[in-house]
Amino acid sequence: MHYLPLTELQAGMVLAMPVRVVVCGQLRFSLPAMHILTVDNLHQLAAHHAEYAFVALPDERVDEEIAVESALAARRTLEIFAGADLGDPNMAALFDQVLIYRSK
Amino acid sequence: MESRRLSRAEVISRSDALPAFPEIVLQILVAIDDDEANMAMLVEHIRRDPVTAARVLSLANAAVLKSRRQGAITDLFTATSLIGTGRVRETALLSSLGNFFGHSSAAMPSTFWHHSIAAGMCAQELALLSRSGPALGAALIAGLLHDVGQLWLQCFRADAFAAAQAGAGEHCISISEAERECFGVDHAVIGGWLADHWALPENICRAIRFHHVPDEALDEALVPVVHIAEVLSNALDLSQGCVNHVCSFSVPACDVLGLKWNADVQPLFGRMEARSRHASKAFPRIGLR
Repeated sequence: MHYLPLTELQAGMVLAMPVRVVVCGQLRFSLPAMHILTVDNLHQLAAHHAEYAFVALPDERVDEEIAVESALAARRTLEIFAGADLGDPNMAALFDQVLIYRSK
Repeated sequence: MESRRLSRAEVISRSDALPAFPEIVLQILVAIDDDEANMAMLVEHIRRDPVTAARVLSLANAAVLKSRRQGAITDLFTATSLIGTGRVRETALLSSLGNFFGHSSAAMPSTFWHHSIAAGMCAQELALLSRSGPALGAALIAGLLHDVGQLWLQCFRADAFAAAQAGAGEHCISISEAERECFGVDHAVIGGWLADHWALPENICRAIRFHHVPDEALDEALVPVVHIAEVLSNALDLSQGCVNHVCSFSVPACDVLGLKWNADVQPLFGRMEARSRHASKAFPRIGLR
């Protein structure tokens, strides 16, 4: 499951969480969880200036691809945190969450 | 890395050579706490900025096209009514500051703008975490402008700034430390001077000034927001720049925001990345290389 910006949403994707566009406390547009997005929905989301949606994406990667991408994500995260003290529990906790996020 | 020390007077006097700071930002700040206030004022100021006006009309017409309504929108009042003042305000801020950055220095890499956008979006998400937090518009502006001191250095001390950046890498020190060795002050201090000179509100000036040393000003709600926003924009690699590094962050700032680094932050990371990518596509670089 991923948060995707509007420009990357496609018809056929399944909402993992409801979409609710609220302007000035008023609900202007909503779609329920598990709803399958249609082309019309994509237009409606754009018309209501939604920025993103949380969708369920089937992971069609084979194990080898997952392993390679996880290794790349881990290497990049280590580069970013190269100057950090990962012995510090707070820094280690942030690093762990970033690594989990990047590995999805 | 030795270079001549910078003074506030020099920074301010040279800043006159930058493009004029966009007036619309200051006007928006007048009604920052009211999402729907002063539509007439907002439209009037957008009208004076052709690039921003074109973006607002384009956004409105995209909505018309996609909702299959009839007729193109050519009037800013209609466009603002359709899109909502809050969204128009965000568009005006991103557009006007993007123009300002782009026209200030053609040599500034595009990753600078993408990093600024990412920090702005992260700052808004962090501001949403706390009901007593800063206004979303102020969080966006502070996030967008937090590194404006680097823009000044690139414009007026490009060679020494490049040397400071290279030195930071060679000596494994932070860019702020390298800047202080080189100029006597770092980009956060320079940015704070500029924000003050442009008559930005005190909370935004302090957020820029203290974004690398937030513990010195935790009484200002915007300070921990901008500090953690920059940390996360780097940690999540949101500007896709090779210079993204996380060396430290303020635990007290996290405490103020109620942030705990556990599984609960995963949705926050997702929203930050999705919004940053959306905004980067909607507001691509202007004049930056």
